[in-house]
Amino acid sequence: MAGFLSTLRRIYLSLYNWTVFVGWFQVLYFAVKALREGGPTTVYGFVERPLQLAQTAAVMEILHGLVGLVRSPISATLPQIGSRLFLTWGILWSFPETRAHILVTSLVISWSITEIIRYSFFGMKEAFGFAPSWLLWLRYSTFLILYPTGITSEVGLICVAVPYIKASEKYCIRMPNKWNFSFDYFSASILALAIYIPGMFICIFFVYPSQAMCRKKLFSLSSDHITNIGRKSTHVPVYAWAAQEGSLQVKDG
Amino acid sequence: MKIILVSRSAKEVIKGGIELHDEATVSDLQEAIYARTKKFYPSRQRLTLPLQSGNQGKPVVLSPKKKLVEYCDGNAKTLTVVFKDLGVQVLYSTLFFWEYLGPLIIYPIFYYFPVYKYFGYEGERVIYPVQTYATCYWCLHYFKRIMETFFVHRFSHATSPLSNVFRNCAYYWTFGTYIAYHVNHPLYTPVSDLQMKIGFGFGLICQVSNLYCHLILRNLRSPVGNGGYQIPRGFLFNIVTCANYTTEIYQWLGFNIATQTIAGYVFLVVATLIMTNWALAKHRRLKKLFDGKDGRPRYPRRWVILPPFI
Repeated sequence: MAGFLSTLRRIYLSLYNWTVFVGWFQVLYFAVKALREGGPTTVYGFVERPLQLAQTAAVMEILHGLVGLVRSPISATLPQIGSRLFLTWGILWSFPETRAHILVTSLVISWSITEIIRYSFFGMKEAFGFAPSWLLWLRYSTFLILYPTGITSEVGLICVAVPYIKASEKYCIRMPNKWNFSFDYFSASILALAIYIPGMFICIFFVYPSQAMCRKKLFSLSSDHITNIGRKSTHVPVYAWAAQEGSLQVKDG
Repeated sequence: MKIILVSRSAKEVIKGGIELHDEATVSDLQEAIYARTKKFYPSRQRLTLPLQSGNQGKPVVLSPKKKLVEYCDGNAKTLTVVFKDLGVQVLYSTLFFWEYLGPLIIYPIFYYFPVYKYFGYEGERVIYPVQTYATCYWCLHYFKRIMETFFVHRFSHATSPLSNVFRNCAYYWTFGTYIAYHVNHPLYTPVSDLQMKIGFGFGLICQVSNLYCHLILRNLRSPVGNGGYQIPRGFLFNIVTCANYTTEIYQWLGFNIATQTIAGYVFLVVATLIMTNWALAKHRRLKKLFDGKDGRPRYPRRWVILPPFI
């Protein structure tokens, strides 16, 4: 029974990861297509649907963490998914004035490449039990550039949207009302911007150095394949979902 | 006897170990470590026995009052102890004082001072009776908490990590501001007089009950503070393990019935979730400790925190 459930889990997670991988591949494909055909201002138009689908699908990962299907701590996944959904729906979809900005291109490229690598990595592990070392290398190396570019694009686009948010009064609830509730989307956006600061602080002083240590350890062992075994791990979680990875050990021979 | 002190990565923390007399207690060891390292005062030290290889269970924590020989399993001449630095520690009373001081000061600022003109609301503010009573109720609550911290509570641990000060203050101060902003707002809509009276009346009864619960809990522990756990009895503890949390939750419910803000209810929900987590752990701990074996009493069947749900 336990074996059956664990196989079911593997099949489900393989399907999930590869499906979302395809979604993000489409995003990158259409983004490049847009750049070649219409230029940066047209990128959003080309990628809107696959971007919304692929990004919103990530909400499933919160569920996966909650029910214990994967080992990620939701305290780490929630902020990342929160910021992604905020950008996708709360900024880009809600305020069309932002869509032609050049930062949309850098945002979409950064996100799609990161996610393509990430989902294929997990897809490989769930479906085949291992991930090729070049994919592992990509995973632990590309984030060094893609996280800064991604975060800069996110923060930048929020700043671009702020004047439109303030002027439009969209999503605002004003008092007086029976439940004495108020919500100011402009203030909430400023608060979101403020949260990026401690977030970046944590990244620079905790995540980056531990990743560097991890890379040194992993890539000083040369091997063609890296397999899953047991609980002991030589790596430190990359920015949230890596706890899902469990353990890695060099295959003998 | 000789104590070999290692870190969790098996490196020696004190070269050559520590020599103590055979009847030495863990507390003597803690003092010796502090004397040798100058940095790690006893409340920063977490001392455990090394985990046996293959054993994935929780490590055995050394208890300060016990003698070191009690942890030796045969060889009474040397003992290996694993050391972990818990980081800078503050007294629990310090932690509680700072986290409660914020709401006590911030809330009245929104009531007394014309802060709302900085949010764009010019002009005179009409103050309803419920807003005045709410300010009194709120301040009374946090004043009570501070008094209990210094005169009532007996803590199971003397200290808490410094980082908790920032985390807890952020929680209390942010929610305090969030609620104060809405209850004292110039466009605040009060509830009916009856609803207000029911809310505050119920809340006050629960606050008094909460104080009584704290007094009962205090008397379970001896003044020579070393923590320890007893089965709570009397008053609401006969039906629910964490009656103190129960009364605290209902007390906030009373406040919210009287003031009716989403902000207040959000705070209530979050606080309930946090306290329920604590209550489940405490209930589990008490049931495990009082298992009815070896002359120990058996923990009676009780609700955990919120009858009839849990």
